[in-house]
Amino acid sequence: MDIAAIVKQLNLETRSAKDRLKNMVTGGYTGDLLSDVMANSKAGDIWITRQIHQNIVAVATLKEHAGIILVNSCEPASDTLDRANQENVPIMVSKLSAFELTGKIYSMLAEKK
Amino acid sequence: MLELAAHILDITENSIRAGAKLIKIKIDENKEKDILCIEIKDNGTGMTKEEIKKAIDPFYTTKKVRRVGLGLPLLANAAKRADGNLILKSARGKGTKITATFQLSHLDRQPMGNITTTLLVLIAGNSDIDFIYKHRHNDRQFVFDTRQIRKKIDDLPINHPEILRYIRNSIDQGLQKIATQA
Repeated sequence: MDIAAIVKQLNLETRSAKDRLKNMVTGGYTGDLLSDVMANSKAGDIWITRQIHQNIVAVATLKEHAGIILVNSCEPASDTLDRANQENVPIMVSKLSAFELTGKIYSMLAEKK
Repeated sequence: MLELAAHILDITENSIRAGAKLIKIKIDENKEKDILCIEIKDNGTGMTKEEIKKAIDPFYTTKKVRRVGLGLPLLANAAKRADGNLILKSARGKGTKITATFQLSHLDRQPMGNITTTLLVLIAGNSDIDFIYKHRHNDRQFVFDTRQIRKKIDDLPINHPEILRYIRNSIDQGLQKIATQA
């Protein structure tokens, strides 16, 4: 499943690296504590978070995440967006809470397997 | 709270509630020591030993009895998460000093956020209180003092829109000069 499929089904708004929506999503991780995300997420994960500062782009790049989804309609900071475009990290925004969004994406991934 | 500026606003509001007339906010970014230190010192009523206990324990008592909110436990937690700590010093009649230390480069250290707006909110909403803001970044320092502004503006209130605009510019420029990074 690629990011575009999630964007379409869950009505996400894409804020950066719009040409990277073909990135394949192989799993997911939800968390706001960057060190925890560094330690426990995997390459190919879609990362669901409430954090908006530019460090999220650094973490997503290092961990080779498929992309980042911000919850509760939170918008990325402007320097976060600049970095994300430079590093080709797609950032999406969802109206849902982390709990709901995680559940929905988990189900989508489970169906594809 | 996702940014340190929000913590600073919250803690400073405690000082205001404690009747402080002069509040000093000091920030020290030291790359060599890899430390970020935030100190907030007021000349308010201060706390008894019992009140200090209540202030740092999030479960101590109900909200009705709580004179300060959850701000201190949250800041203490934010500091610990970034390998730092929080020290609270206070005595009745002598004011309160809060020092939060963080490992500057720690991944979980919250970003500073917008200091200028935080200071403006404090100054605009509390025109009878004086604020001193000192920000050190390695060997450079920026100092802002509302008492100096008052000397320049005679009878104009410090929260006059024109004065606030001037203050916003001087803080922005001052922070730019010392090239803050946190």
